[in-house]
Amino acid sequence: MKMPADRRRSWALAAPVFVLLLWTVVFPNVAVILGSFENGLGHWREFMASPADREALTTSIVISLASVVASLLIGVPLAFLLSRFEFPGRKILRAVATLPAALPPLVGVIAFLFLYGESGLVTRGVQRLLGMTEAPWRLTGVWAIIFVHAYTMYVYVFLFVSAGLQRLDTTLEEAASGLGASSWQRLRRVTLPLLTPALAGSMLLVFMMSLGSFSAPYIFGGGIRVLSTQIVSSKLNGSMGLAYVETTVLALSAVAGLLLFRWFEGKRKYTSSGKGSATRRAITSRKAQIAVVILSVATVVILVLPHLMVVLVSFAVDGAWTTQVLPPAYTLDNYRHLVTEAQLWKPIINSVSMALIATAANVLVCFVAAYLIVLRRFAGRRMLEILVALPWAIPATAIALGLAATFNRNDPLAGRVLLVGTFWILPLAYFVRGVPLVSTAVESSLRQLDPSLEDAARGLGASWWLTMRRVILPAARPGLIAGALLAAVTAVGEFVASVVLYTHANRPISIEILAQLRALAFGTAAAYSVLLIVLVLIMTLTARGLEDRMA
Amino acid sequence: MMRRLTLVAAALAALAALSCSSDKRTVLTVYSPHGKDLLGYLEQGFEKAHPDIDVQWVDMGSQEVLDRVRAEAANPQADVWFGAPAEAFDRATKENLLQPYIPTWSNAVAVDGRDSGDHWYGTYLTPEVIAYNTDAVTREEAPKDWDDVLDPKWKGKVLIRDPIASGTMRAIFGAIVARSVAKTGSPESGYEWLRKLDANTRDYVLNPTILYQKLGRQEGVITLWDMPDIATLRQRLKIPVDYIIPASGTPLLVDGIAIVKGTKHPKEAKLYYEFVTTPEALKAAAGQFLRIPARTDIPQAELPQWIQDANAKIKPMPVDRKMMAEHLNEWMKYWDASIRNSERNK
Repeated sequence: MKMPADRRRSWALAAPVFVLLLWTVVFPNVAVILGSFENGLGHWREFMASPADREALTTSIVISLASVVASLLIGVPLAFLLSRFEFPGRKILRAVATLPAALPPLVGVIAFLFLYGESGLVTRGVQRLLGMTEAPWRLTGVWAIIFVHAYTMYVYVFLFVSAGLQRLDTTLEEAASGLGASSWQRLRRVTLPLLTPALAGSMLLVFMMSLGSFSAPYIFGGGIRVLSTQIVSSKLNGSMGLAYVETTVLALSAVAGLLLFRWFEGKRKYTSSGKGSATRRAITSRKAQIAVVILSVATVVILVLPHLMVVLVSFAVDGAWTTQVLPPAYTLDNYRHLVTEAQLWKPIINSVSMALIATAANVLVCFVAAYLIVLRRFAGRRMLEILVALPWAIPATAIALGLAATFNRNDPLAGRVLLVGTFWILPLAYFVRGVPLVSTAVESSLRQLDPSLEDAARGLGASWWLTMRRVILPAARPGLIAGALLAAVTAVGEFVASVVLYTHANRPISIEILAQLRALAFGTAAAYSVLLIVLVLIMTLTARGLEDRMA
Repeated sequence: MMRRLTLVAAALAALAALSCSSDKRTVLTVYSPHGKDLLGYLEQGFEKAHPDIDVQWVDMGSQEVLDRVRAEAANPQADVWFGAPAEAFDRATKENLLQPYIPTWSNAVAVDGRDSGDHWYGTYLTPEVIAYNTDAVTREEAPKDWDDVLDPKWKGKVLIRDPIASGTMRAIFGAIVARSVAKTGSPESGYEWLRKLDANTRDYVLNPTILYQKLGRQEGVITLWDMPDIATLRQRLKIPVDYIIPASGTPLLVDGIAIVKGTKHPKEAKLYYEFVTTPEALKAAAGQFLRIPARTDIPQAELPQWIQDANAKIKPMPVDRKMMAEHLNEWMKYWDASIRNSERNK
């Protein structure tokens, strides 16, 4: 049977991508699922019978749903405020609104502990101020975790909704009010339905991230159990089978969430044509102006505090800060310690090079995948779409466990290569985690390209390769840069998968911070964190510059 | 465009080369919970004595070491496992993860400070103690014995490191249940003890750093932990904590060293094994890093004063290691499922 040249090319491009994704994403997880059945249903029965595991499952889901709600409550109003209204200080608020995303997870959690923990700066401050003998609150358990999640994850809701609002044509809303709709009706019947894709997408992302979140429960969750920490504890206890069951259940919950949010998105699908023209209204009422300014200042302070806290701790003398509100003594020693450390650059070079390697692979593979998904019509399209989104549905702990279970020996016939204990296992893990990030970004860029442009170029006699270079690549570039940046930033501060898979030779920055924490060197750990934050900022600025130069 | 891509590729290759930089020395990998300071100190000395060996240590909790060694059994990454309570080594021995080796000083260690099959030998002794914050609790008020910690006056004031991930806590909890089995033939009264402890517990802390942090900042004022670590907090980090050696006796953990089965560098592994257990290295560890040596042939007078004082007060609690190896996991599972949080905050 002869296939048309076009379809042959699609398959020639698709085949390696399929093989790679099946091998690195699907295969390890199949290994985990098979592992959970290693003695029939025994481990599953053990899971069902364990009250601890049932509690962990419920708590995981409750925390994830609550994190979604909390992120919506902060992210949506903030996005509306910033994209619809003009007010003094708008630019500053806009600039810091995404700051929490620049705080690596482990660092963020530690900063929260120093701020809002029982003996934290804010807590002790309030306690002194009100003359209380006990701390006014305790940062522990479910509420603490939701609090941290809301702070770090609302950014995704905010970004998605802001982008959605920018694309949304305000003339539609004006038309609605012209037709006599009240502002509530307008919001409910016009604006929100049009924002559904942005809302559903971000809710899904927050749900997945909370489900797999490890750092927050690891530090605050002493009393409570969630699945991600339960997996690690089963593994430490030597019950690998049970750990596989818990991993499978965690992944299944994630898939259930995926279906739920997809259903929510599909139920109300509205699209507006047109490029969108958003106008910002100035706030004129004096009272509203004052209220907005006060609110903005408060928001900015809350958003910046954890970063400031990390900087403050990096200058504090370790151990001297006990019951005082502020550290009583300051020093440059923590930085001096860092600079004199012979091995200082090793983790930094490791993290940067592993992030770059993973991101380079992401860019290549995800560009091809997105091109196939968006611009090609062929039988495997739907399948490919699911494959690139899959790592989103698998929490990082599960990804790490799968890789550890699969690539722990050389057995080429079974598709196993020995990577555990080598340099390459971490870049692979980062690559897997980056696949959905880069793919989604490139897909959305390519969707804005009129498919007829490709046909037109081909019709005018341009070769496939020329079309690719002159039409498709330029169209994909904004998504490629944004996606690559996101993937690289995530990889450079990655902790959850790293802690399972690192070796001495490839230990990343997050592990070095953990080692400093283990040695109780909070100051040095904070100094390292400051370095990591600076690194993330440099990467962001470089990507911005790249974007501007190429545009 | 192509040129730019080539440049990026070249830069990537250079970075990758830099991070897998090769030097000609043999790499010896050591898994250990002993911390940056002690490990770095020993590394320096060892590499000076053996310039052709590059020691690379990976610093993690002892339960994590066991987990890793187990996961890597098909292709061992570590050569030496330096540091873990005997219980962890016994499990590793049972799972056939360790390589027997008889050190040159095998006669200078007590019978219960070594494996009968030579899979591991003791390096340091870690007595378990009751620790308290000295700003909040005076020495007179502090609990003098295990049972005193159950006093209702400590309700909501005790911090406990999550025992599932901690060798130290597993040893303490294990000793309590083992004591009950030895007395009554059943673990029940041990479980009852742990239930009362749960009632007094303010928080289960998932890692030692946060435990020290909370104890130092009075988020809880009592904890159960090991003596060398508390001494380190007090003497080296100036955190206001101190310890009490329990009057009725305390589990005296033996912290050991072993060679990982399947090591690719058996010769170098043995050199390191011997190096860190010479009397000089042990005395340095005692003086600078507050570790109590397990070797019995080091004269007491050559050890720091605080160790001599403690040794005079410690009454070792007999621990049936065989029973521990067989039952500890099951006890801990029961604790995790049925005792944790059953009385806490009520």
